[in-house]
Amino acid sequence: MSDRINHVPERIELRLPGGFQLPPFGIHQFLALMIVCVALWALGAVWLGLQGAQQWVGSWQGNLQLHVYLPVEKKDQLGDLKGRLSTIEGVDSVRYINRKEAALWMQNWLGDTSLDVDKFSSQLPESLELTLADERNDFIFSDIRDEAARFGASVNEDEIQLANAHELLQSIRQLVLFVSVILALAMAMIVSNTLRMILLARADEVHLMRLLGAKEWFVRMPFIMEGTLLGGGAALLGWLLLWPLVLGVSSWAGSLGIALSPFTLLLPLLFGGVLVGCLGAMIATAKLISPDSVDS
Amino acid sequence: MLKSNLWFVSRNADRVLLHRYCIPMSNDQNTVSKPIITMQQLMLRYPTGKVALSGVSLAISQGSFVYLTGESGAGKSTLLRMFYGGLKPSSGQMGVQQWDMRSVSESDVRELRQRTGIIFQDHKLLFSRTVFENVALPLRVQGWDKERLVPRVRKVLGFVGLDDRLWSYPEALSGGEQQRIAIARAMVTNPPIILADEPTGNLDEETARKVLDLLMSLNQSGTTVIMATHDLHLLTSHPGRVVQLHQGSLVGDSYE
Repeated sequence: MSDRINHVPERIELRLPGGFQLPPFGIHQFLALMIVCVALWALGAVWLGLQGAQQWVGSWQGNLQLHVYLPVEKKDQLGDLKGRLSTIEGVDSVRYINRKEAALWMQNWLGDTSLDVDKFSSQLPESLELTLADERNDFIFSDIRDEAARFGASVNEDEIQLANAHELLQSIRQLVLFVSVILALAMAMIVSNTLRMILLARADEVHLMRLLGAKEWFVRMPFIMEGTLLGGGAALLGWLLLWPLVLGVSSWAGSLGIALSPFTLLLPLLFGGVLVGCLGAMIATAKLISPDSVDS
Repeated sequence: MLKSNLWFVSRNADRVLLHRYCIPMSNDQNTVSKPIITMQQLMLRYPTGKVALSGVSLAISQGSFVYLTGESGAGKSTLLRMFYGGLKPSSGQMGVQQWDMRSVSESDVRELRQRTGIIFQDHKLLFSRTVFENVALPLRVQGWDKERLVPRVRKVLGFVGLDDRLWSYPEALSGGEQQRIAIARAMVTNPPIILADEPTGNLDEETARKVLDLLMSLNQSGTTVIMATHDLHLLTSHPGRVVQLHQGSLVGDSYE
């Protein structure tokens, strides 16, 4: 009998304030969750787009490479051309690709067709493969074009365009990184404002806990936990909502040779969400002053 | 007034001497017990420059029942706040339990508050929490396990006659019942001292007497009770030491 009366009835849900006890989830928290979720989803979508664009320009390759073609009849100038190209600042190395190797690569690229390699390779120009350094001057492509033209050779212009696109993507990446930081701060402020509202609503509770001699971590922990969970939950939801987007564009992206993978974003989004939530909670509880505070 | 002050100064000088030579002071002039609170020439000045308390010298023995009386603004609530570390003295000496309140650290104040029960005129109950959650809060602060909370809270609520309201919300209770819940919350950790700031201020006479009966019972079990009040008529039925403040100064100290 005494055991029964000394237990919490099943219909009662204990909500003891302070410590590792989460406060009840209300409309303010739901709104903050939605806003942070949408912001994180948008960030995730932008980063996925960047991932796709980088795949498209071939930046997954370790080095950026460019090909120069010399007509077969000028084969005797190949050594001079190779030497001149090697001296251009920003060119790491120059490799000669014999025509048979080029024909085999092309056969492979075309899907192992029944191409007569010997016959086909006799039609190909001589090829030089230039590997470019990470640090390049603005005129490197003009210099390569000029040297090639002097020997009657030509440069693969599509590759130059891809290299330019790659540089543009690098700039966009910096911009997205900057926007991500700004958005993260904005999300932290949203979480912080939400928690400030909740703190105002629970000012009496905080005051009372301090009057009872509660330690600061005991008073603040529920709010820190709430902010952290809010950020983490929003990140998880935002990540799940990336899937419909990825599935929607998968056939179009596939036709461009792009394979988007939201899995690469799961950990960064979760970590970012938790960090943003925790930061917001810490901002909200930084100046949590009550009457009769120990330091008042 | 002058005569009264002189009477107090000579009487207080004896107390200071007793304290200086570590002789336990009397609670009711017949029994001898150790002081739980001592003050000498205590002064409190707010940052605005207003002097709230001035030259207060007083000793309160362990296990005594003390009424703090005086007009509004006399300094009763200020003095109570100083007893739990809500305010620090500007000058003079003040010792509460084992702590010197002028040099007390933050962690000491927390420990002092854990060993002090506080009752307010407006109860300061959490209306969004059940009676159980309100009364269990001090125990939670002190790290009690959830399993031990229910029996302890039920026992304390039994003392104030409200053990059948464990899962009710405070708004469903009358003013007197709410004040009894506040008393239960103050005594649940079994503190050596209970501070009550006008606990009967909002109650009718009959309910006020019942609340005071509870505080007297606590006092009889050894708890020091210090109560700020305006209800001087309660002294006839519930006698105790009466400390009178006027404009921040001590003007009377008698046993009624």
